[in-house]
Amino acid sequence: MTLPPTATAALKSIALKSGATVCGVADATAFDAYAPEKHRPGDLLPGARSVVVVGGAQPREGDWAATSPWVLQTMGTTERIQGVGRRLAQYIEHEFGYYALYVPPGTASGDTPFLSLMLAAQLAGLGSKSLAGPVLNREHGFMYWSAVITTAPFDADQVEAAAACPAPPCREMWEREGTTPCLKVCPAADGGCLSGKLESGRAVRTFYDAARCNTRVHTHWIGGFQKVLEETLNEPDRDKRKMLLYGDFFTRSLWAITYSSTNIAQCFECMRVCPAAHGLKEMK
Amino acid sequence: MSVFKLDPEVYKRYKDEVLKLCNSFQRIDQPGLSDKQIAERLGLDERTVTEIRCVAERDCYSLEEWEKAIEFKRKATLEWSALALKRPDLKEK
Amino acid sequence: MTREEQVKAVGLKAGARVVGIAAVDAFREKVPEGYRPEDILPGARSVVVAGGDGPTAGAWRCPDHRVMEITGYDLRENVAVHAMCDFIEGALAHHAIQAPSLPVHGHEPPMSMMHAAELAGLGTRSLAAHIILNPEYGLLYYAALITTLPLEPDPPLAEPACPHPGCAAMYKRIGTTPCLRVCPACLAGTVQDGRIQESTYDREKCHSRAQTYGIGSFQKGLLQIVNEDDPGRRRTMIYGDFFTKSLQSVGFFRDSIAQCFECMRVCPVGRKYRKLQ
Repeated sequence: MTLPPTATAALKSIALKSGATVCGVADATAFDAYAPEKHRPGDLLPGARSVVVVGGAQPREGDWAATSPWVLQTMGTTERIQGVGRRLAQYIEHEFGYYALYVPPGTASGDTPFLSLMLAAQLAGLGSKSLAGPVLNREHGFMYWSAVITTAPFDADQVEAAAACPAPPCREMWEREGTTPCLKVCPAADGGCLSGKLESGRAVRTFYDAARCNTRVHTHWIGGFQKVLEETLNEPDRDKRKMLLYGDFFTRSLWAITYSSTNIAQCFECMRVCPAAHGLKEMK
Repeated sequence: MSVFKLDPEVYKRYKDEVLKLCNSFQRIDQPGLSDKQIAERLGLDERTVTEIRCVAERDCYSLEEWEKAIEFKRKATLEWSALALKRPDLKEK
Repeated sequence: MTREEQVKAVGLKAGARVVGIAAVDAFREKVPEGYRPEDILPGARSVVVAGGDGPTAGAWRCPDHRVMEITGYDLRENVAVHAMCDFIEGALAHHAIQAPSLPVHGHEPPMSMMHAAELAGLGTRSLAAHIILNPEYGLLYYAALITTLPLEPDPPLAEPACPHPGCAAMYKRIGTTPCLRVCPACLAGTVQDGRIQESTYDREKCHSRAQTYGIGSFQKGLLQIVNEDDPGRRRTMIYGDFFTKSLQSVGFFRDSIAQCFECMRVCPVGRKYRKLQ
């Protein structure tokens, strides 16, 4: 069985028509050097040859400009790209007759995903990791990702040669102040999540406190729910238990859990200040 | 007051007033006050009012009210169906 | 096509039943600081509101109330809002955001969709829980976007949709209306000269009906469970129907976001659209 020579182009065209902003392909074996066992494409789909990655559904310019924190925290758009991924999986199977597995966006266990969508985006040539952590596309900045593992041998894209991060204003800021916008807004040394070092305009060291970031990006979600539940069970006073379970934090956490798809990300401060994260379009 | 716990005594003292002033019991011509406005009126800080309001909204009625709700909907749907669908057999005797 | 017509056309094509526009200034009269469109998006000029269909006509006819509890709706008014936001930012190069409407502190959302619908001329408050009734379609669900794009606003409706002439006549005859009669627990009101004179709504009682199974019932159930000392009784509570359904509802809340329709079931506004074969 072989793919027609125009298959990869046709796939990408369908992806963009379905709503993706970008679409790329990674060779499934490229994950072996970076992903731990059980989290490689072949572990999820035996015989996997390619991983198709789509990016899009990024926050709008208005979302970044909004002063209310509730906009980005409760009206997230990540699920709009997940539908594209699902559609592509169906398309690959029906159009080309190869197996395709849409990578579920949840976790396999704890906080570990089935397959790292950020790694997939990098290997598909769609972006590179930033000092702040998220993968940034050179043209569109910060976006959400979805991936499809397939036995179809689509033509793989090259990894990006030049990274979006650090952006020129950030390199200048480093020379001046020894920090960058993202490192300054969320410094690990002062209760934040990030630290790093630039040399000759390149990141040579990065640090990311994932556990602390979890309390910010998932403030009202499963972790917070578990914390309040534990505290409630340990609280001997019944009135205080009521204060915990009916209180603002627990109520909000339950709303976030029920509307996970739009509440899945609740901190964007490193990306808000990032000059490379917002794409290139001017808005009024 | 920590993030999670409101002092139950503060709650008991102010819950009725907060419920009265917010949007829990609505009049069509009178919007309820925001937490900030309630805080100014009661001499509390806004965060405390938010916490009191959240607990009070949930605490206002007991679980018995939920039982009544289930029964209410079951009967009301059947009564309407009996009338609208011309199915008197649906109506409870 | 004017810009207003263009934006509305995008929303209607994406599935909205109605689309209206309100000026940001109009929110200042009744909305407290912190909850106005300009508090959410700096430079905001307009609010575009989309109204979408609720349950299908077939769903209204089901004699089993549990079906309507989880019929849900397809949230297409939100889809329409996204389509219009994409259009405003993509083609008209102005900021546009989906207005945040989910509760963030207790029952309270950052912005009222009901008030936005009123100001955009899409409906008026009713005796039934002050639900915004569109005079043509009756009950619709509303979502909105906030934008820096200046648009000509639609005026609020001059004539209220409620009370329906039939309800006004009923009130004159027997001192009540269909909605007030079916749900005296949550609703009370008076009608004079064909207009609402007074109307009150017990939102907390309504919450036990409109969201019987969900976040609230989960919290209530959980408190009872943690306060129960007997392991056997605790077990029956955890695995019982009420707590199980509460958990299901938390997991699938979009399908069970509205769980009581009795005041709307008996409402004549828009009922002609529920009469099919």
